Amino acid sequence: MKKEDMISLLKDWRVALLIILVVASLIAIYPHFEDGKLVTNLQYGLDLQKGAWLQMELNAEVVGYDTSLPLDTFITNLNKELDTDVVVVDENHLEIRKPFTQQELDAAFMKAGGNLTTYKQGVSKSTADTIKRTLENKINTLGTKDARVNVITDLSGVTRYIRVELAGVDMNEAQEVVGKQGKFEIRIVTTGNETEHVLYGDSITSVGNPSQESASSKVWGVSFTLSEEGAQAIRDASIKYGAVTDPTKHNLIMLLDNEQVYSAPLSSDLASKMAQGEVRQLYASTGSGTAGLNDATNLEIHLRAGALPVDVTVAGSGSVSATLGDHFKWMCVLAGIFAILTVGCVIYFRYREPAIVLPMMAINCSEIIILLGIARFIQQLDLASIAGLIAVLGTGIDQLVIVTDEILHEGKVPSPNLYLKRLSRALGIILASAATVVIAMLPLALMDLSTLRGFAIITILGVLVGVLITRPAYGKIIMTILSR
Amino acid sequence: MELFRYDVNKYSPTQMVIIPLILLIVSLAIVGMTMMSTGLPVKPGMDFSGGTAITIVTTDSKETLAAEFSAYPLTEIGEGINGAKFLKFSSMDDAQFRSLSALVSEKYPDAKIDQIGESFGKSLQEQAIFAVLISFIGMAIVIFLVFRNFIPSCAVVLSAFADMVMTAAAMNVIGIPLSLGTTAALLMLIGYSVDSDILLTMRVFKRQGKFEEKLGGAFHTGIIMTSTAIAAIAAMLVVTYLGQVEIIMQMSAVILIGLFFDIMNTWLTNAAILKWYVNRRGSR
Repeated sequence: MKKEDMISLLKDWRVALLIILVVASLIAIYPHFEDGKLVTNLQYGLDLQKGAWLQMELNAEVVGYDTSLPLDTFITNLNKELDTDVVVVDENHLEIRKPFTQQELDAAFMKAGGNLTTYKQGVSKSTADTIKRTLENKINTLGTKDARVNVITDLSGVTRYIRVELAGVDMNEAQEVVGKQGKFEIRIVTTGNETEHVLYGDSITSVGNPSQESASSKVWGVSFTLSEEGAQAIRDASIKYGAVTDPTKHNLIMLLDNEQVYSAPLSSDLASKMAQGEVRQLYASTGSGTAGLNDATNLEIHLRAGALPVDVTVAGSGSVSATLGDHFKWMCVLAGIFAILTVGCVIYFRYREPAIVLPMMAINCSEIIILLGIARFIQQLDLASIAGLIAVLGTGIDQLVIVTDEILHEGKVPSPNLYLKRLSRALGIILASAATVVIAMLPLALMDLSTLRGFAIITILGVLVGVLITRPAYGKIIMTILSR
Repeated sequence: MELFRYDVNKYSPTQMVIIPLILLIVSLAIVGMTMMSTGLPVKPGMDFSGGTAITIVTTDSKETLAAEFSAYPLTEIGEGINGAKFLKFSSMDDAQFRSLSALVSEKYPDAKIDQIGESFGKSLQEQAIFAVLISFIGMAIVIFLVFRNFIPSCAVVLSAFADMVMTAAAMNVIGIPLSLGTTAALLMLIGYSVDSDILLTMRVFKRQGKFEEKLGGAFHTGIIMTSTAIAAIAAMLVVTYLGQVEIIMQMSAVILIGLFFDIMNTWLTNAAILKWYVNRRGSR
């Protein structure tokens, strides 16, 4: 190739864009050696590195209802009927925090004086958020650097599954972390810095969502209920140490795993109530505004001491050891290289012209590099998405063949005008087939079929990178080479 | 390339469709029968029916392993090369699974464990069926929009459908289970399948010249396309077979089978329909 050809080729925006993207991708992937091992910035899923995942099913229902009774009465009835927490989600939906079948709920709603209109297994968005935060709190105590908690929500906003992914731990550790409960304790200040034990977390029978004590108050807090023994213990301690008569000197302190999470005096109202008798329903206020709400949300989690608001069962789980993860990683690299080489041989066999085969292979490799460069930011690589990557390599080379054959039609190298016409016809074929692949993969990319989502996203990205960036550049390059 | 000594112009449309038609009927029968017994077109694997799969690399014999895990619902021990063993268990409850995973991480710390609960598998299965249906319908809509011509569009959609059905039947015969991975592979087939069909149809309708020449040219390009794809996927299959990466191995096997059926369905079924369509239009 002549020097000026080379320069004009590099000045072409399609070729320049391709080169810039390849370089940018390489920088983003940043392959380098650390302690004699090759490391990159690529994110790996849990089958290519040591780790475990647990997908948990939430045993609760979000249901639609109608009733002619006042809402409060209806919910109290339901509470009795079902013997579990019933939470108002919005004006048309309730959350039932125990597993029931639709028939069971149908009957219970009738008895409580209403009707069941819709039934869906799962929890509301706010409960799902609480569960997510609780799990994240537990995982943080483990100190794993790479952990994620994904809430899997359907189109109607109901969450039935939560998926926890923990890098660097095995299945046993993962199960322990997720199942672990903290030690919750309430102590009372006696004199100065001295405190005395009042009760443990097992005396708390239920914990509410963050709420405002009354409609007019701007102060947030969390209500919780004590067992009879708990209420007795807190009353005895308050009287014994004088919190009932002088609340401000005798704060109640809440500890989770021996760390203070809350401290406040009895309100004067509560102090006087307590002097007269046991109080089972307590309310811990945290302050006003967003800060108050945040504190209330955290306090709710602490009050539960790591217990989730609904029961969960493990729906699915998996783990991979470090050795096996590394083995899979190398196999993927090997499969990729081997695939590129075989494709190169087949292409050479067909065209027998290095000037065509080499650019084709270069384009194919650049496509993979750009794809990995983008994936580094948005997608973990797991086995399924690697399969997608290699499959895209296959369709990619197919389309380069279409471009080449279309341009070389009847064996002659065309004039620039004819060339453009043929190139656009080739791109027409490519666009049509790209559109079908994208449409075919779209449902998988939008749904949450665990590992298939990565596969679909990589495939769609690969098709887009091909159609928008590498194929147009290839058209330009092959034209310059052929018109020598 | 002269690997395939087949002259796409030699036979009449009726001669061309006879083999694919017979195969399609046989495949539909196989798929239908599987559907009646399992509710799915291909026998479901663990992902959809629930259960536990454990991969370990060990020199222990099958018998030792069977004894080791006799307290658990072990259904199958598969053997790969280099001492890889694939253990399959049917569904068990949380407590039993926990004790199994404790046993595995103690005895075989390098294991890979995957477990899917029955109801979760069921919900994955429903979503997967939904995804495949939506994908297929979406593909058909794109094809109709691109060609705006009823019969040629139908030919493309039909040959994609035939690819998938024949591949599903072949999976049943060979014993590749339907999993999340192989479902994705079947969807990927839609993409590969329409690639060569679109090329064929575009060449026939958007180029000037004699039908026979255009068909011959399209065949020339199409075969090289499919064979490069076959080469890439075959390479993936060989490496993952030797390296015992079960999921990619099954995915590439499915795509590979589908690509061979695609050669037939594009250059026999689809080409025959186009030939018949062009002849009929020409004779009027």
